[in-house]
Amino acid sequence: MSDQHFPSPEDFQDPLENYEPKTYDDPLEEALAEETVAAIRHEPYVSIPPDTPVHAAVEKLAGLHVACLLVEHDRKLVGVFSDRDVLERVSQEYDQLKDRPIQEIMTMHPFYVYETDSPAAALAVMAVAGFRHVPVLNLDDELVGIVSPQRVTAFLHSHFTS
Amino acid sequence: MGLQENMQKEPVSRLAVREPVTAERETTLRQATTLMREGKLGCTVVIDQDGKPIGIFTESMLTQLLAENAAGIDEPIEKYMSEQWPWVRSTDPITDVLEAMELKNVRFLCVVDDDDRLIGLTGQKGLMEYIAEHFPGQVMVQRIGGKPYQQDREGA
Repeated sequence: MSDQHFPSPEDFQDPLENYEPKTYDDPLEEALAEETVAAIRHEPYVSIPPDTPVHAAVEKLAGLHVACLLVEHDRKLVGVFSDRDVLERVSQEYDQLKDRPIQEIMTMHPFYVYETDSPAAALAVMAVAGFRHVPVLNLDDELVGIVSPQRVTAFLHSHFTS
Repeated sequence: MGLQENMQKEPVSRLAVREPVTAERETTLRQATTLMREGKLGCTVVIDQDGKPIGIFTESMLTQLLAENAAGIDEPIEKYMSEQWPWVRSTDPITDVLEAMELKNVRFLCVVDDDDRLIGLTGQKGLMEYIAEHFPGQVMVQRIGGKPYQQDREGA
């Protein structure tokens, strides 16, 4: 038996005892950093399968008055199709494209956030990458929602003092 | 100062105000959407001879039109534009933009001067950029679109 010396609990010094957690001047900044995307409303969302015809996707956007559809296969995000895609890729050639599957037209490899990311990450996708709608995934990479600018502004409002 | 206080005090002109895409009443929607594509903007402001806005046509209205009557794209913009165009003055506080976005669900706002002349457009993107700029230490350092850190880690 080795003659090991274990400090008694009274002698133990916590290496983090001098740690001072980050402080924030602005409650909103704290919320952006310390909360998660899950704190922003990210449901409901509308998803379609990749083989949906373009005309059906356009009708869905119009009928539901939403700006963005998530293209989903097997609970995984494969693309997004938004009003901007209608404008830029479909509107001038609608008759030729309307029966094509959406996977040929959609925006592939969209930027997304995880529900455990900070709200600031969703804002970064909007402000830096320039996408107004940000899909939200769980840690199993399954689609769980979408964050829109309206939902971000509602989140900001909820942290404003009245 | 906190963000809320800044938004109440700073004017709309402090936001990124973008050059608008404009059209006249007779412009066809096909021409207008070409201009929107070139300008990478989601709306066209219809103006009269004096440069005053008389209507707006947005990308969501385009989606509605294609879903209901795709042939309408070759008709004049006047027929499909909305005469209710949301606007703010360049001197109004930024909170007005926030309210318009949240309560009226608008994506674009026309920015006009004191003589009601169109100066530019702002909206969701301008507001998001303003907020991001306010919290660079949080927003500008974010990893965008990748895997979470725990899955990125290599080795032991």
